[in-house]
Amino acid sequence: MTTTPHLPRRSLLGLALLAAAAAAGASVAPRSQAPDFTLRQIDGPNLRLGEQRGRVVMVNFWATWCGPCRIELPQLAKLHDRYRGSGFLLLGVNIDEDPNAARALAGKLGLKFPVLLDTDKKVVGTYDLNAMPATVLIDKDGRVRHLHRGYREGVEVTYEQQVRDLLKE
Amino acid sequence: MRRCLLVLALAGAAALGACAAPEPWVKPHERERLADPIMQWQGDVLSSKHSQHVRDIREGARGANGVQGGGCGCK
Repeated sequence: MTTTPHLPRRSLLGLALLAAAAAAGASVAPRSQAPDFTLRQIDGPNLRLGEQRGRVVMVNFWATWCGPCRIELPQLAKLHDRYRGSGFLLLGVNIDEDPNAARALAGKLGLKFPVLLDTDKKVVGTYDLNAMPATVLIDKDGRVRHLHRGYREGVEVTYEQQVRDLLKE
Repeated sequence: MRRCLLVLALAGAAALGACAAPEPWVKPHERERLADPIMQWQGDVLSSKHSQHVRDIREGARGANGVQGGGCGCK
């Protein structure tokens, strides 16, 4: 009898704590809809993620000042070359302040996939993956399926397997 | 009084929510300026890297010489 009046308050407190924890950890999660964006291509028109439905899309956030990104990009370019005819699209989102730096490196590495410019870092801030490079794999329905934070040597094998699995769906 | 306490507890919980996940002050994608070679402690990065390599070989010791990489938070 003495404990019953306290129960609603405790549950209220618990709910408040849960809500606070959920608000603190809000970012892109697997199975959620990928946040849409429209960005300018390095040497072409704007490109919108929402218009790529029906294709498996890999979004890779990179910068010229990020060492592992420079190692990863040629691996991603190979992946793009191999699967672009099968409904795969790789979007390299560059977050440099100076687009010329991105243009120079993209030219040097001979990147053939669309390189998008996020100079004000709004899109990378929305995805908020807390690592550089960061890679998001999006399925044909526009849902986030895999998140990769950072780059480790050999992870491109995992990328390829995941792309193949998503293409088969 | 009890209501006051409850409100205080809720306010406290909301304030602590910000501490739920420790986050870096500067996010990895915001470290462009920090990753600039001019932000290195050493005056000449290349020669200090060389001398550190020599020390590693001679003494068989590594580490405690600062942070590797460009400070971009890359894993």
